[in-house]
Amino acid sequence: MLEINNFVLGIFNILKECIMKKAVLVFVVAGLVLVTLSVWIYQSGFNQSFTDISMYAVIIVIVAFAVFIGLRRLKSLKLNQPPEDELSKKIMQKAMSLSYLISIYLWLFMMYISDKTALHTHSLIGLGILGMAVIFAVCWIVISRIGVKDV
Amino acid sequence: MYNRIKELRARNNLTQDDLANKVGVRRETIVFLEKGKYNPSLKLAYDISRVFNMTIEEVFLFGNEE
Repeated sequence: MLEINNFVLGIFNILKECIMKKAVLVFVVAGLVLVTLSVWIYQSGFNQSFTDISMYAVIIVIVAFAVFIGLRRLKSLKLNQPPEDELSKKIMQKAMSLSYLISIYLWLFMMYISDKTALHTHSLIGLGILGMAVIFAVCWIVISRIGVKDV
Repeated sequence: MYNRIKELRARNNLTQDDLANKVGVRRETIVFLEKGKYNPSLKLAYDISRVFNMTIEEVFLFGNEE
């Protein structure tokens, strides 16, 4: 009987650890992005153009957003509440679908300006990806404010 | 859809955190429910009603029932 109890407790601890890891994962990803950004800045020298500096600023804003999400999850865990529940999942889903829709127009705009600017293809793709991340963050903030009311 | 969560919570001396812990959601979800910014799933509505020892119809009001 005691062995069964220990086995069940072990499984429970593993599950709890997985939930905790999900909350910590955001910080790991944010840290990796920051390290990559530092290496990128170091390798490209400190003589940066305005476009580069704007890109770094946008990346830092996105990392700050990820850290904010991670902190919210940790706060919930501290209060013995789930890091994600049905509302946060629904907000995430709505933000994803809305940002996908807006991103289509972003890429159309990028295609339109690609002929009119002197930017390289990789810079345009980079800007597009950053733009998608910013659109997602904005959608998430807006939907978190106005709520999800399907009926 | 309207609900009486705030009123019932005050009557039962429960904080938003207490109710959130009892039904297994985040406190923000209770805040959104009370403000009418979110319509809960059937399971969550059932769990909340059980905390107050009431039926779903007594806690959640549809249309012009209010």
